[in-house]
Amino acid sequence: MIRSDRYLTGLGALILVVAASVYAAQEHAVIQKGKAFSVKRLNVKIGDSVKFVNEDPYTHNVFSLSDAKSFDLGSHGQGVSRTVSFDKAGTIEVECAVHPEMRMIVEVSK
Amino acid sequence: MTKAWSCWLLGIAACAVFASAQPVSPSTDGALLPRDSVEAAEFRGSVVFGQYCVTCHGINADGKGRAARLYNPRPANLRLSDKNDEYIGLIVRIGGAAMARSEFMPPWSAELTEEQMRDVVVYVRSINVSNTSENNR
Repeated sequence: MIRSDRYLTGLGALILVVAASVYAAQEHAVIQKGKAFSVKRLNVKIGDSVKFVNEDPYTHNVFSLSDAKSFDLGSHGQGVSRTVSFDKAGTIEVECAVHPEMRMIVEVSK
Repeated sequence: MTKAWSCWLLGIAACAVFASAQPVSPSTDGALLPRDSVEAAEFRGSVVFGQYCVTCHGINADGKGRAARLYNPRPANLRLSDKNDEYIGLIVRIGGAAMARSEFMPPWSAELTEEQMRDVVVYVRSINVSNTSENNR
């Protein structure tokens, strides 16, 4: 009986480890090119991060004022990337301070 | 002549007198403001400001734009700025980081034309309520 309990405990621990390794936080990449984000909408999980890569020959400045995540990645020039992680579920509208027409949505889910 | 007709004629006469007393309105042919006038630059600058600057500096240029809460220190209150035109023009052109100020003030030289940058400085000067001495010109 004791042996059986140990077996189950070990099995449970193994399942937890496997489950944790199945979903590790991911890094998504969004390119800024031609004064536009490469995607209009991006679905991510809590804990994921998004790397914004500037492939334009001029400065971008990515920011968001959304309740789920407010941030400003600052001005970044050509070839520079800035990363932000998302720790709360919600809809996040991402903008560029230099180019008001640049907008995208990051949907963060559990 | 009936009373109604009398009233009509009296009204028409009054309108004619009133119209003749009005000054001749200026011609609306062509541009009302010379392109190189300060007023035209202020107007163009206000358009640039409304599109690119209000997010941080606010529609009243008082540093209370919708994104202002992200920053510490807050965006500059341009109405009270004591900086001269040359300084403002430079920070617009090369950004805050290059002038040892906020890195969140982007360099606008790649986005705006020379005229747009000059115009926005003229507009900022026009709404400044601090000491507008000759040093600021």
